[in-house]
Amino acid sequence: MDRYQYLALLGVCLLLTLPLEFVLDARVYRRPRRLARSLLPAVAIFYVWDAVAIARGHWTFNPAFVTGWTLPFGVPLEELSFFVVIPICALLSLEAVRNILDRGWRSFLPRSRSVGQG
Amino acid sequence: MPEYAVAGGIGVLLVVGAELAWFRTGIFSSRAYWIAMGICLFFMVLSNGWLTKLSAPIVIYDAAMKTPWRFPFDIPVEDYLFGFTLLTLVVILWEHQGDSPSG
Repeated sequence: MDRYQYLALLGVCLLLTLPLEFVLDARVYRRPRRLARSLLPAVAIFYVWDAVAIARGHWTFNPAFVTGWTLPFGVPLEELSFFVVIPICALLSLEAVRNILDRGWRSFLPRSRSVGQG
Repeated sequence: MPEYAVAGGIGVLLVVGAELAWFRTGIFSSRAYWIAMGICLFFMVLSNGWLTKLSAPIVIYDAAMKTPWRFPFDIPVEDYLFGFTLLTLVVILWEHQGDSPSG
């Protein structure tokens, strides 16, 4: 199971930030075209950065903690996943923070069901 | 030569330059951007701290390709340059597309 550690970490990041989409109305997943257009150039650029770094020996990956599923030019699947997941988390954070600043955090509290609320 | 450090520095310069000279989304003047980046930095220290911990590293660095500095925990300082470049680039691209409420 150790070899899923890196993927599991990314999964945890997605799980922890998922409430931002719905509770704080980030609407990042619900704007999929905008999200895709934000991610694709960055994923492409960082895939190249990673491939060059791996080729030049800047870093390698501990075989005990990665799946071994390797994409072209020696880039682990986990790294491609990183370039997708981490920016998604950042955008969720950005939009959630923006919504709190714009609307106030109280606006995200559940509505009281009591009658006669002011 | 610490190539990773150099690459990281170039990345930061390029993304900052792209924002200031080309995209001009205004994120560097945005409270939401800086607060979000601060939150991301906090979680980066936790998650990247896990990835890079020398006791059982998931990512292993060549010392000749980076500076000797790791902080906090075993996080290479270059990783902050890398992360800043990645996140800022995506935020710029997101902001550049404007405020569409759907899609």
